[in-house]
Parts: sequence; structure tokens; C-alpha cells
Amino acid sequence: MRRQKCFIASLMLLAGTAACAQGRAATVPAGAKTASAAATAAAQVRTRTLKNGLKVIVWPVPANPSVALYDWFRVGSRNERPGITGLSHFFEHMMFNGAKKYGPGEFDRVMEAHGGRNNAYTSEDVTVYQDWFPRSALETIFDLEADRLGHLAIDPKVVESERGVVYSERRSSVDNDNSGLLMEQVQATAFVAHPYQIPVIGWPADIESWKQEDLERYFRTYYAPNNATLIVVGAVTPEQVFALAEKYLEPIPSQPEPEPVRTQEPVQQGERRVTVRKLAQAPLLQMAFHGLRARDDDAPALDLLMRLLSDGDSSRLHRRLVEEERVAIQVTGYVGAGFDPSLSWLLVDLPPGGDLAKAEALLDEELAKVRTAGVTDAELRKAKNIVVADFWRHLETNDGRARALGTFEVFHGDWKKLFGAPERYEAVTREQVRQVAIKVFGQNNRTVGVLVPETDAGEAKQEAAR
Amino acid sequence: MKRLEMGTALAALWMASAAGAEQQPLADRPAVVRGDAARDAVTLPKVREVVLKNGARLLLVERHDVPLVAFSARVRGGALGDPLGKEGVAALTAELLRKGAGARNASQFADTVDGVGGALSVSPGRESLDIQGQFMARDTALMVELLADMLLRPRFELAELEKTRERMVSSLVAEKDGDPRGVIGLYFQAFHFGEHPYARPTGGSEASLATLQREDVLAYAKAHLGGDRLILTVVGDFDAKQLAARLEAALGGWARASTPVPVAPPTQPTQGRRVLLVDKPDATQTYFWLGNTGISRTDPARVEVGLANTVLGGRFTSLLNTALRVKSGLTYGAGSVVLTPLQPGPFAVSSYTKTESTAQALDMTLDVLSRFRQQGVDAAMLASAQEYVLGQFPPTLETGTQISAKWSELAFYGLDASDVDDYAKRVSQVEPARLLAAIQRVVPAPEDLTLVLVGKAADIREVARKYGPVTEMRITDPSFAPPRAAPSP
Repeated sequence: MRRQKCFIASLMLLAGTAACAQGRAATVPAGAKTASAAATAAAQVRTRTLKNGLKVIVWPVPANPSVALYDWFRVGSRNERPGITGLSHFFEHMMFNGAKKYGPGEFDRVMEAHGGRNNAYTSEDVTVYQDWFPRSALETIFDLEADRLGHLAIDPKVVESERGVVYSERRSSVDNDNSGLLMEQVQATAFVAHPYQIPVIGWPADIESWKQEDLERYFRTYYAPNNATLIVVGAVTPEQVFALAEKYLEPIPSQPEPEPVRTQEPVQQGERRVTVRKLAQAPLLQMAFHGLRARDDDAPALDLLMRLLSDGDSSRLHRRLVEEERVAIQVTGYVGAGFDPSLSWLLVDLPPGGDLAKAEALLDEELAKVRTAGVTDAELRKAKNIVVADFWRHLETNDGRARALGTFEVFHGDWKKLFGAPERYEAVTREQVRQVAIKVFGQNNRTVGVLVPETDAGEAKQEAAR
Repeated sequence: MKRLEMGTALAALWMASAAGAEQQPLADRPAVVRGDAARDAVTLPKVREVVLKNGARLLLVERHDVPLVAFSARVRGGALGDPLGKEGVAALTAELLRKGAGARNASQFADTVDGVGGALSVSPGRESLDIQGQFMARDTALMVELLADMLLRPRFELAELEKTRERMVSSLVAEKDGDPRGVIGLYFQAFHFGEHPYARPTGGSEASLATLQREDVLAYAKAHLGGDRLILTVVGDFDAKQLAARLEAALGGWARASTPVPVAPPTQPTQGRRVLLVDKPDATQTYFWLGNTGISRTDPARVEVGLANTVLGGRFTSLLNTALRVKSGLTYGAGSVVLTPLQPGPFAVSSYTKTESTAQALDMTLDVLSRFRQQGVDAAMLASAQEYVLGQFPPTLETGTQISAKWSELAFYGLDASDVDDYAKRVSQVEPARLLAAIQRVVPAPEDLTLVLVGKAADIREVARKYGPVTEMRITDPSFAPPRAAPSP
């Protein structure tokens, strides 16, 4: 799904956030400040792994009387197969629909009555539950989370109703949104073997046919404490959180490790193309390249490259396609970064009547330039500066801190890497950026998708005949 | 996602700004909710305020927790200053402020902002142009220079103007190809407010933007940009005394705008029902807004209305979301929004459902509205809404960006810090009777409604007629207002 992709992309951007320590450090005190502030923050974080395998990470931040809680499960559309596509996302919904102590609707009702709010999202790799609440609600939140993790009820009547909700979500984000529709087709074309081919929201026929036993098996397999990581940030103490986690969550038994995803996507041997024809006013062009996994050493270089290609009005692609040649109204870049090598995206929105061939040729030209001539010192410095400013922007809120810690713990294997990111980004060289451009942005490694507008002339005739 | 944040974001924006000032003193009445929320109430950090000779107001807040500086500038006037038929000229002017100013052309300006990792955005609003920025603290002097260049020395180059205008037109078209939730509010305001300036799209329409020339932009800038129109709040890691001097030197020479600030006439709720049907022939889902005129930002009952909106459609367990999503599975989301400009703005319910269940979802919505207006809120629901609103308020004032925006907002509406500082107390003291009175005054009555439906007209035309006289337009029409014609029979 498009928005979920955006979200994951932003996490990756965050993963790329912390450059600055050296750079202009001689004249710019912020560099030293970044390093020392990051060290101070890192010293405040505490962790504990419960007997059932659940890892709990706490960052006490007393400034604001609120708390952000993120519960990460290592399950997403990557763990699905034909017939049960979309099930991870559906389960994200079902986790709000009743357990033993708190029946259908009670999770939300009780949380909101205590001043809390929640949401959740699913990606190809993970399903993440988020609670934002005043510190006074802390124990209630643990009680609620423990109930649904330990004793979820999967009532067939509720399943039917929620199916309608999810189908409505699909209509909004895919079927009735041209960009979402094209992205789904491009992603499904880019992978031939790996389950990253599956759209997170699921294929329509599967949404209509999940079975009760599919749900029950999925819950047992993936919603186990040993498959999860809990992050709590805000007006709490680690002792308080550990005590509540032991009281409420430790009794939930662990489960056997889920089957690993073994399939690796074979190396792409040449370009793939997909065309969507649809009623529309404006055409769309999208390119998806097989990229990297989150923990690849080259990930910071790819992130920096994508920023100087597509981030801001000074970026190469915006300048060339939007400002100079005026073939596009917007160019957006996302770096996917999951457990397995993920897609890096370039999305080009064209004006009505826009020239798809010309937009593609210009995009090709810019990508070829970066592969052969690389990038400038000024561009790399700029990308690193954007990254450090974003680092601080994310760490301004409890929510941002919780996301950042979780991202590094789950995708990079260690939350501490969040605070080491400045050095990793600062160390990237121009040559590394050029090498990653060669590796990722090659023509044989890409899937090109176009949405070609069809007019509604046929419809108009029918209307006139009415 | 469990749900998208769009509807709730608007609601939260409102709730974040909903505190009372003109009500009866209630301090001696017992609070309904627990003491925790009141004890944990947040207050706004104090500002150092400087008023320059040209009338510009500067509000400065030092914060040294992160090495960032954020600012929020509001320039009064906004799209209210658009001449009739020239909708979008304020927006185009605002866009062009970043497209070359002072010694830098558009490309150099972008290089400078991005080069230091700065963020700078311009949002053309109905009643003000808003500029927001955030820079590393080390770049504070540069930030002031760029802001002063934008405000005092914009270039308005013809080539940039033509490109920007063209892109604004294309973006509107592209939005219509996207998720209809992105544009339905524009149709609602256009249809509901009719001849009133609040009907006019702040970003212009494809039709109006096409007519805009450089002289229109220059005329707008002369009439509506000036030191007397500026409210600027800066929050972050700086020395306030030094920054005040720097800002005075940079902005003190800005001339006054040549015309008085435009003021919208009062708005009123409309009587009776009418329906706008926007045909999107490929839609498999019908998107709808229905509502009427609500309240202004300074309405004495704004805390009550904020709570009413929370209960009706401002949170996940709201009456609307419970009926349309949780209990019936008709939709991914149903909610309500209260937009509060200087004059009363819209109070609207929004949702969407598959084409076949359009009537079912609309009937259910009307039923929820009717019951809510009759019954109001019981004690338990009120307590829950109070806790929710209080619990969700502190995270809206965490960052320098949030605090600068809040201070500029308060100054713009003539409010002071008590709007935030007394908020928890005000929310805690709302009582059922006063809440019911606010609901019956402000929440749209089912018999007096503007309805906008975006969907496949061939399949929902007959359904639409059930709810009132129908006016039709096509999503491809180059304007958000329906052609002026009699409603179809």
C-alpha cells in the first residue's frame, strides 16, 4: 500500500538521519552537540528481555506528561502465500476486535476513556501497534495489551464485518487511487519469486476468502512474545515499565520460532514493464529497482543518493524534470529497506496530456549521469545535512523516538545503532554513492510502470443516451 | 493501517486549539474527571514580544533541548484578498515567495535551504499566508536572511510564475485522479458557502488559475504583503535578545500593505437540504461530506463544541465510526470535522462506502446525527471524551514547530496563552447541560444540510435525490463550484 510504503520509507530516512559529527565540525558546534546529545540519550535507554522472549526497551523522557508505546511484530505480507494474501494486515485490524477480558470494541473504548489513542500499520515485513496516552494510563494500557496478546477472540461475525472495512480501505488506497493502483502492479511485476510481490492490503479474492482456521493459525504462529519487541518512550521510569511488563506480559507463553522466509529473489536479467489503462486525466510513471536490505552496509549510501536525487526543490530529478523540462509536476523517491532486499522507487506524476516517453528518457539520462559521473561534494554535504536535521526532527517527540528505536532494533538488530548512525552516514564517500548507483539504478534491474489515461467518452455517450 | 489520520488530524487540530475564555467562571465547581489530567496539564512557554514600528509582531521563545530553530509566520489577508474570478492569486503569490528572492534566483534559493538541511514551506490559507521553517540552530542568521528576502524582496519572475501556475493547475487535475478524500472538502465549501468568500478555493481552480498574470501577483503583493500584516513566532536554540535585534534589522524596513486587511462577512447556517453530486465514473466507492455552518475560532462554546465533535466523529470510538465502521463494516472510516476560521466555518461529517451501500451509509449517518442532537452525551461518555481530549493535548505541544505555530495562531485570532494554559481546567468543567446546548446550537440538523457526494453518478443519481434537490457536476469540470443552473428535477 502506498501510504504504508511512504511510512516505511520515512523510517528508512530516519535510519539515514544522523550524519553530522565531523563535516563542518570545526566551524559548526552542532556537530559536537549531536554526538554528545546522542551519547546522553543512549545512556538513558534501558532494556530487559522477559522469560517468554519479549524484549522491552524503555527510554524515559520526562519533559511531556505523555507516553508513546510501540509493539513490533515480525510479521508482514512477506510471511504470506497465495490464498492468504493480506492476512497480516487483516490481523492488524482483528487485534482491536475483542479478547477475553475486553470484548469487541472494548479495547478502544477503555483506552480512549483513559485518555489514550492508538493506531497500527502493516508493511511487507512488520506489523506495528502504537498507543499514545497520558502517563496516568500506563497500567491500563498494559492490561489491554496483555488481554489481546494472550487471549484474542476471533469471532466469525466480527471477521465478516471487518472484511468490509478492509475492502473499503483497499478501494480507497488502491482501486480508487491511480497512484496506489499502479504501485501495486509495479510491485507485483518486480518480484517473480519473493513474497514481497504480495500487496500488503491483499488481493481482492483473498480478502473475500480468509478462513477461520487461517486466522487462528496465523495468530498462534506470529503473535508470540518471542516474535515481538516492545518500545516505551516518555514520562515513565524503566522500573515501572519492567514491573508492569513482568506482571502483565511475562505470563503469555512463547511459541516455536516461525518458519523463516527462505526464498530469495533471483537476480533480474532485464527490464520489466507494466501498463495500466484507466479512466484518468493525467498519466503516471513509476520505476522500481531491486535495492538493499535495511542492514546492508551500502544502505546509508543509497539513502543519501535518493535524497540528492529527489528530496527538495534543489534535487536533481526535481530540477530537471519539473523545473527545467516541465515534463512532470512532482518526482518522489522512496528507499524501501526491509529484512530482505527491497524496492527503491521513483514516482513521477505527469501533467494532463504529459509525455510519458520524454519523462522516462529524462529520468534515464539523469540516472545514467549519476552512474557514470557520480555526485558532487556539495550534493553529498547537502544530503548529509538534511539527514542530521531530520535526525533531530524525529527525536523531538516521544513518538519519533519510539519509532526510531524500534526501527533500529527490529531492522538493524540493535537499537544502539540509532545513535551510531551519524558516524555511519558521515563516513559515506562520493565513490560509494556512485557504486551504489551502478548497483541499484541500472536498466536491467528495474520495473517500469505507466498509467495511460483513457477518456470517458464511452461513459459520456451512455450518459447522453440516458 | 487501522485507520488513516486525515479526518482525525483535522479534528485534533481543532481540539488542540479549543479552549474557552469568555465563559462563566466555573472555578469553584468540582471537576468531573480525575485529577491526573489537570495535574499534567501543559502550559505554553512564555514569549518575549516585540512590536516593530511597521506593526510587525515578533514572538520569541528560547528552548535549548535540541539544536533546532523553528518559525511560524502569518501574513494576514490570504485568499480573502483574491479578486473575484482570480481565485488562487494569493496562493500563487505565496508559492512564488520561494521561487527567487533577494540575491538568489529560484534555483539558488532552493540550494541554500536544502544545502543546510533546512525545511521551509509556504501554505496559502483562507485568511493568512503561512510560512513555516525549521533550521539547525547554527543556521539561524541564514534563516532570518531567507525569510526577510522572501517577504521583502520576492522576485516574482515571469518564467517562474508561468511554471508554477501551470504546475498548480496540473496538480489539481492529478488530485482529482487520486483519492477523492483529498478534494471533496473543496467541493463542499464551494457548494455550501455559495456567494460567500469562504466558498472560493484557496488554491484556485483550473479555470481561475489559467487567467492569472504577473500583474495580478504584483497587485496582490502590493495590497496584501506588508509589515503591518506580519505575526512571526520563533522557537528554539537561540538568544532571544540577539535574535530580536537581528529580526528588527531584517524586517523593520518592510513597508505597510497598501490596503486594509480583507474581512469576510459573517456566515450563517443554511436552511433546508441540497445535494451536490460530483460524477467520477470510475469510482467504486461513494465519498461524502454532509454538514452546515458551525463556529468561529473564538466562539465562546468552542471547548464544548470540541468535546461534541470528539464524541460525534473525532475519535475511533465516536458515534459515527462505531455505527458505520465498527458495527456495520460499511466503511474504513467515518468522522466529523470542525473548521474554525475568523467567521464560522463548516461542521461536517465525512465518510465513504462502496457504491451499492451509499443509501445505507447516508441513512445511518443521518440517524446518528438526529439521535446525537436529541440525546446529547451521557455522563460516562462525557467523562471519556474529557479524558481523551486532555490526554491527547500535551503531545500537540511537544516540538518547536508546534509551539511556534500555536503562538502565531493565538496572536492571529486575538487570543492569549490562557487559551492553552486554562484548557485542561475548561475541559474538565464542562457539564452535560451546557454541552447539550452547544450540540443543539452547532451540530448540523438533519433537515438543514448541505450534502456532497463524489462517486459514480450513473449508479447513485436516484439515491442522491432522496436527500434533496440535486445539482450535478463532473469531476473533470475545471472548477469546484457547480455551474449556475437550476437543480435537476
